[in-house]
Amino acid sequence: MNIRPVRVEDLPGMQACNLQNLPENYTMKYYLYHAMTWPSLSYVAEDHKGRIVGYILAKMDEDEKEDAEPHGHVTSISILRSYRRLGLAKKLMVQSQRGSMATIYRASYVSLHVRKSNRAALGLYRDTLGFTVQDIEKKYYADGEDAYAMRLSLKP
Amino acid sequence: MSDIPAARALPPKESTLFKELLTLYETRQLKKGLKTADQILKKFPKHGETTCMKGLVLTHMGRREEGVDLVRKGVQLDLSSHICWHVYGLIHKGEKNYKEALKCYTQALRYDKENLNILRDAAQLQTQLRIFDGLVETRHTLLKIRPAMRQHWIALAVAYHLNGNLAEAKKVLEMYEATLKNVPDYDVEHSEALLYHIRLLEDMGEFNEALTMLDVNAKSRAIVDRTAIMEVRARLLSKLGSDEAEHAWRVLVEHNAECYDYYRGYLSNLGLTLGCQDATDASASKALSVLQEFATQIPRATAPRRLALTIASGDQFRELVKPYILSGLTKGIPSLFSDIKGLYQDQAKQQIIEEVALAARDQFSSAEPSSSASTDPTSYLWTLYFLAQHHSYLGRHPQALGILNSALDHTPTLPELHMFKGRVLKRAGDLFGGARCLEDARLLDGQDRFLNTKSAKYRLRAGIVEEAHALLGLFTKKDAPSPGADLEDMQSLLYLVEEADAHNRNGNFGPALKKYMAVNKVFDDFEDDQYDFHGYSLRKFTVNIYMNLLTWEDRLRSHPAYIKSALAASRASLFLIFVAVHDDPSIATAATATRQLTDAQKKAKSKAKKAAQKVLDDAKKAPAQANNNDDKGLEPVAKDDDPDGTKLLQCADPLEKATSLLKPLAKLADNDIEVWIATYDVAVRRKKYLQASKALARVAALDAEHPELHIRRVTFRQTVSALPEPPQVSGPILTEAVAKLLPDEVSLETFNSQYLQRHSTSAVAILAVAKVMVKLQTPPEQVEETLFTALDGSASLDIKTALAILAFLHTIKSPRADEFRTRCGEKFELSTVFKSASELAELRELAIKAPQSVPDKVEDIP
Repeated sequence: MNIRPVRVEDLPGMQACNLQNLPENYTMKYYLYHAMTWPSLSYVAEDHKGRIVGYILAKMDEDEKEDAEPHGHVTSISILRSYRRLGLAKKLMVQSQRGSMATIYRASYVSLHVRKSNRAALGLYRDTLGFTVQDIEKKYYADGEDAYAMRLSLKP
Repeated sequence: MSDIPAARALPPKESTLFKELLTLYETRQLKKGLKTADQILKKFPKHGETTCMKGLVLTHMGRREEGVDLVRKGVQLDLSSHICWHVYGLIHKGEKNYKEALKCYTQALRYDKENLNILRDAAQLQTQLRIFDGLVETRHTLLKIRPAMRQHWIALAVAYHLNGNLAEAKKVLEMYEATLKNVPDYDVEHSEALLYHIRLLEDMGEFNEALTMLDVNAKSRAIVDRTAIMEVRARLLSKLGSDEAEHAWRVLVEHNAECYDYYRGYLSNLGLTLGCQDATDASASKALSVLQEFATQIPRATAPRRLALTIASGDQFRELVKPYILSGLTKGIPSLFSDIKGLYQDQAKQQIIEEVALAARDQFSSAEPSSSASTDPTSYLWTLYFLAQHHSYLGRHPQALGILNSALDHTPTLPELHMFKGRVLKRAGDLFGGARCLEDARLLDGQDRFLNTKSAKYRLRAGIVEEAHALLGLFTKKDAPSPGADLEDMQSLLYLVEEADAHNRNGNFGPALKKYMAVNKVFDDFEDDQYDFHGYSLRKFTVNIYMNLLTWEDRLRSHPAYIKSALAASRASLFLIFVAVHDDPSIATAATATRQLTDAQKKAKSKAKKAAQKVLDDAKKAPAQANNNDDKGLEPVAKDDDPDGTKLLQCADPLEKATSLLKPLAKLADNDIEVWIATYDVAVRRKKYLQASKALARVAALDAEHPELHIRRVTFRQTVSALPEPPQVSGPILTEAVAKLLPDEVSLETFNSQYLQRHSTSAVAILAVAKVMVKLQTPPEQVEETLFTALDGSASLDIKTALAILAFLHTIKSPRADEFRTRCGEKFELSTVFKSASELAELRELAIKAPQSVPDKVEDIP
């Protein structure tokens, strides 16, 4: 699969991939907001026909206090079920983190949230990508489910 | 402003109140604002600016009608107030009526030439409307007023760029950079601005200058985006034909070894390509050795190994594809087949792949678990999965099913096997069986939304709409009015198109049209989404991607979901006024199909409704999100007073609606035959004969022998010659256009029979000929006879065409329709679409039944 930085014309494909795979969905404006603010942080995986089969949608966290270290945040990462076991999630994550978060924005770590019940994703983040659980955020999701707040240090 | 008109001047007390009102509005203290406005209006009821402000406040409070009325009144009371016009502009902008909004802003600027807010809004509107010369002027004014604001410089450069004046854009950027002092380190905005400047130079063909600028600023770390630096550098070096280019591309490959563009760049710099078609043997082997070198150098990368497969041939291909497939099978990579099916264009490669896969099956099936510890039993399973896909792709459905069934005997718990079995059945014309399999897959992992979406999609394909909703509702927001409403809010084009198509096939044109129009609305929203970025992106200096945004927006409606919906919606609207059913027989049968709901189906329908209701009831229990904010904004709340699309169906101007849906496609999908066919169909009914003839000429240029064109060549001549008198102005041109499509001296009968002779083995052509025969009043027996030749062994008949022929036989009330249906059922042995209504009802039940009582092999049921 072809892994490359996101382009504007990929966004509908990303949105479709997200809707097919994950329960957390967003309207186009939110994808545009990511791409227009941090154009180098998001990546896509596409198949031979140019269909988006996986993506990482990422941003820099801005809501922190002024003196806080800058850090990246993964808004959403997803691979279509039929394109699993290719290591795409890891490859997307590596490009986004090493390639951009660290060099452009000097992020010291990257954070993400995952549903407590989502064991598959938890396994991916912890075992494959090396994230650790930092905290539990009560009722983080709209339906009342708790989230694990996870982190991965980007310091060499 | 010294000369305030008497009607606007307020005494000190009220003047202070008015200023308060403005502040209250800015801070959205709406209730207080309203009170203040009323206080002023009590004494000065004819004060235009206060009237407008009151209207604006009311609109924000959700009292839209009243509010907008007041704004209009206020403008009338004080036509020379920039505040009044500004407010009116805001109202239009809220309604997304950008043209009218810009008119108001232009008026406002007449009375307050240097108002920053109004100028900024005007610039955004001009960009939205692509009025670029006006934009340049507005951006110029803004820069003149506030030259210290960095974004004003960039904005002016962008305006020149958009208006096609690249040289002036460059000048502005140079002046801007000269004003900069003490740029802090790691300034992302500055970095983005420099990257934009470099792109501008590249667009102007000034590659050397661009490269120098890139290198200088990369070295000084003013540009911080390393990936962008490497990409632009490699591209520029290639364009300059520099020796350094090769190394630059290599650096990129090492940076991201899975990016095809980088390999493409590396090869094309050497005069090589990734495709095999036009490559000579020598260049192909050169490209191949490059890729193999990369594969050795970066062993974890899959891209070079995969790309090599496209280029390699013969024994070399066999040598490379074998480890590629074997590694995929042992790792259990589900996408292995879809990854390499692109290679099937080459027959020899197809053959080799089959041999490799068969050998792998023998190897894995004979492997004793004890003897070779390295062979996982799942490798055997994935090999069967691969082989099934291989056979199905080549149209060997029974073989594919045989393999899948033995794989399922081996392991009944792998969702992929069920999913693919469903796909094979669907391809073979058993939609209910397909839906059943997908549901079996979903039941193996109810937490997986991918399986859920697929199962729902297969239900929709099989026309099982309500039960599809019940599934979709498992993942949509619980507080949404319905699963469909949530998916529509989330802009799921997949859902909207599938649902619309399902209704359309079921003959429910209202709901179908409704969803097709919802697709159109999604694209309207995408188009509106750019508005804020006309300001935002320039403030953020992310200009490169912003420029790409504008290009993308201009081509938005070339998206397949839009094209499909626009075409289907225009066809549906045609049906409404021209009940001449022979026009499109598939609609007619679909319309009758719903009336034949069996008792079982009715029962299922009510059951599904209950299930959907339960989802809704559960949703009501969920805590409603409290909305304490009184501000309803300026955008009108869309009320849906036509949930089933009934009003849409009965609209007075379906042809105008169809025309506006098709309009953007004339440019964006110029090569799509269906677009031009639909354009013709609408135009000819609007009596726009010249436009109709142009559409057909376009089809003729794309495919002169297209069956849909054949029908229309005939009907167009008939239509035009039946005109009481030719259109005055265009008469001669029209006559000439008709003659070009179908020479005058040829009789329609001859024309039709000649076409049949040329295409006697094409089922689609046979159907077209039969349709023309009906227009020419050919005896029904002869029409039937012709249609039945599609069943001959020599004819290329697929299920879709067979269904279309069957539908047409129904339309002409042929007594032989049932005979045709039965014979199709025999010809397509796995299909169920040719079963009788009662058989179909039974199959439908099985497709959605709870799993326990369902036999394993749905396709075995007679």
